[in-house]
This record gives sequence, structure tokens and C-alpha cells, in this order.
Amino acid sequence: MIAQDIAKTIVSPKAYANGKQVDDAFAYLRREAPLEQAQPEGYDPFWVVTRHADILAVERQNDLFHNGDRSATLTTKEADRRVREMTGGSPHLVRSLVQMDNPDHFNYRRLTQGEFLPQNLKRLEARIREIAKGFVDRMADHGGRCDFARDVAFLYPLHVIMEVIGVPEADEPRMLKLTQELFGSADPELNRSGEEIKDTSASVDTIQSVVMDFMTYFNAVTDDRRKAPRNDIASVIANGKINGEPLGYLEAMSYYIIAATAGHDTTSSTTAGALWALAENPDQLARVKGDPSLMMSFIEESIRWVTPVKHFMRTATADTELAGKPIAKGDWLMLSYPSGNRDEAVFKDPFKFDVGRMPNKHVAFGYGAHVCLGQHLARMEMRILWEELFPRLQSVELDGTPKNMEAAFVCGPKSVPVRFKMN
Amino acid sequence: MRPEIGPRPLQDELTPVSAEPYRFWQCRTCGYLYSEEAGDPMEGLAPGTRWRDIPDDWICPMCGTPKAEFDMVEV
Repeated sequence: MIAQDIAKTIVSPKAYANGKQVDDAFAYLRREAPLEQAQPEGYDPFWVVTRHADILAVERQNDLFHNGDRSATLTTKEADRRVREMTGGSPHLVRSLVQMDNPDHFNYRRLTQGEFLPQNLKRLEARIREIAKGFVDRMADHGGRCDFARDVAFLYPLHVIMEVIGVPEADEPRMLKLTQELFGSADPELNRSGEEIKDTSASVDTIQSVVMDFMTYFNAVTDDRRKAPRNDIASVIANGKINGEPLGYLEAMSYYIIAATAGHDTTSSTTAGALWALAENPDQLARVKGDPSLMMSFIEESIRWVTPVKHFMRTATADTELAGKPIAKGDWLMLSYPSGNRDEAVFKDPFKFDVGRMPNKHVAFGYGAHVCLGQHLARMEMRILWEELFPRLQSVELDGTPKNMEAAFVCGPKSVPVRFKMN
Repeated sequence: MRPEIGPRPLQDELTPVSAEPYRFWQCRTCGYLYSEEAGDPMEGLAPGTRWRDIPDDWICPMCGTPKAEFDMVEV
């Protein structure tokens, strides 16, 4: 069993905000206990999967390791009890692709998969470039100082995905606030109560109220798109059929919610974290500015560096063995993506930000059947933004101390103050 | 390090390989695109490597999906 101080750290939102605390804890675990059980106070025991190879092995075997049998994200016993009380026994407040297994996962994923294939995203390139140019102009208008996270990185991917979904621009601030309240539910600067969360049961009630607000909003969107379909993802969800039947209410609402939250927050975090890293490493900025052929390796390194999704949980469907350890049916496993992406066995100098890193087989998008649906859109958005910004960006440096969100599930920088020169 | 798989020598074919158009193959799970013309040198597949010359036990480099679950696509 993992020692309590380490176990507490790897579930602590404040430790993820600190960054170094979780990096040190996972580096220790990779070295001393790469696959071991943890039971922080208030939690059921779970295996902590820290190595890149073991994460791939679990993700590849999606029939042996399910997403939906227990909570797909780390949750306390009390929060799990409250969720099941609310849902009539289910461990999930929502039922999106993340909480599904086959055959539902395959069927629901197929509904929108084509929209996110690289060849089909090409038609969005010109429009996304127009949006990116607008944000680069707005950054220039700040006159040499801005909070890159709040003024650019939060807003650009938000605008892109909301256009793709079909949410009007006027509603974007509401979508951003709801997303931050959902993923930042443990962060007093972002959550709905504005306070430190001490009672995990009350925290579930707050998250549920955010989910209900999303559902109320997207229920109206469904009605609208059923009456008058458009060329957007909302129309695909509203009018889609699985085995000849419309999507269930919970599944449809959850589809909108995952698209409207994970569809921008993770790209925003990566974009903000990338500029933070470039501001701290001017040699790397000079490299990527000076050699456009490094653009894609720079983007992959940014994704590895930030790893905005910190974990997902899996549940073993049968007794098995993983890396020599016996895993029992029903065991819960935490896949630690930041740890896999700092695995010394795979990445040379893993704590170095290297825009030319190749190969770079990070696990930030996951692996196997549940690999991120929007990964090609995310890469394309980032490429276009940097293609527009770099030719105009002469220099950038930090203008204060950046801050990360306090969260143990999906998070990244919430503030990246910078001073910059642009032409 | 994987051994590099290269295009078959021309003399092995009745029809010269270069006469065939290059094609794209796509992973059904993640959308990874394999271009025969570009190959994937990072995966040990030299430019010009035909899909049929890639071993059957090859898996998608992005998500681990088996080769059999790729489709030929127009790009």
C-alpha cells in the first residue's frame, strides 16, 4: 500500500496546482512502487498506474478494464454515495462517452466521429484562421501586457468549439463559466460557492447544479435543432439515432456537455501552458519561431507538458494480472497521465520542455478505444494560433507568477501574466 | 527500435510499384491517417511503403487499433 503522504498528494487539487508536488510524488512512485494500491482517507482503495507502458496496456484492453462500472473519475466514498443517491444507483451524474463501454461506446462515438476526422476538419481551417487572427489582434491591442490564459487561451478554443457545436457567441461567457465551475469545483476562485470545499457531499450537490444548468440550456438547443436542423454538432446530437432510436435524454445531454466543456478547456490549458513554457524558455521560443518544421513537435510537446487530463479511472471486469501484480475483478485503477508523460523509461529528460522532442508518444489524449475524439481539432486549433502569433511575436516573458487551477481531474493554468513585444 | 520496412523492389513486381497510385488508410478508432507516399518514418515505415507490405500485426501508432481495423480513404 502506498504511504499516506504520497496517497494524499496524488488526489489533492492543491498539489496539482503546485505542480512540483505531484511531479515529485509520481517520480517517487515510478521508481519505488510503479503499480501499487493507494487508499487516501475517505476513498476506496485503488491501484495507481504510473508507468507509460502500463497505462497503454490498460487502455488497450477496454473489455477487461471498463469505464462505466464504477466512477470514471476519482471520487470519495461520501461523494460516490451521494451520486448514487441522486441517480438511483448509478455512479455517474452524466453518461457521456467517458462513462460508456461497448456496445454503447462504439455506437455513440460513431455518431460524431466523422465530424472530427482530419480530412473533414479541413473545411474549418479558413474560419479557424480568421478567429485566430482576431485573437492575435486582440492580444496586440493589449499593448504589451496581458494575462494570456484569460485574455486569449480561454477564449479562442471556446469560440471555435461553440461555433462547431452551434452555440451562439452571446452564450460563450456562460459556457466558459459553467465549464470552469464544473472542472474547477475544488478551486475557490472558480467554483460556484466561491469557498474551499470541505464537505464532499455538498460538493456533489454543487456539481449537480452546474450539470442541471447545462442540461436546461442544451434541452432547449435540442428542441430547436429538431425543429430546424443546421450544419452543426448540436443538430447531429439532437437528430442522431442509435439502433434506430433517438439518443436517450441523459446520453444526449451528456454528449453536449462533454463537447461544450472538454472541447475547449483542455485546448485552452495546453495553449496557456505552452506560452508559459516558452516565456520561461526563450531558447525554445527562438527554435520554434526560427524553424516552422518544428511546429507539430512543439504542439505535441505542449500537450505532453501540460497533460490537462490528470487521470481517468478504470474498473477490472475479471481477475487478471498487470505488470506482475494480481488485479481482482472489481478493482479500481487510476491511470495517471501526467506520470505516464514524465516516465523516464520513455522520455529522455522528461522534465525538460523540448520543442523538437521526437518521438513523443505521450498519453495525454489517452489510448485505445477511448482516445480523445477531438484530438485532431485540438492540434489544428493550436497550429493555426501559433502560425498566426509567432510571426508577430518578437519576445515574451512572464509578468508575475502564473497560477494553475486547483483540480485533480481536468486542469491547467488559470492565469499566465506576460509582457510581450509584437509587430 | 523497429526495423525499417521499405517499399518492395521494383523487380519483385510484374507491374512496377510506381505505376500504382499511392493511397491513404485511416484508423477507425482515432482517425490516424497512413499515407503510402509519405510512409511514417517515426514508426519505421519508409516513404513509399505500401499498406500491403506492413505486417498484419502492426497496430495504429496513436491508439493501438489493429491494422485490420483501418479503411482505405480518399483525402
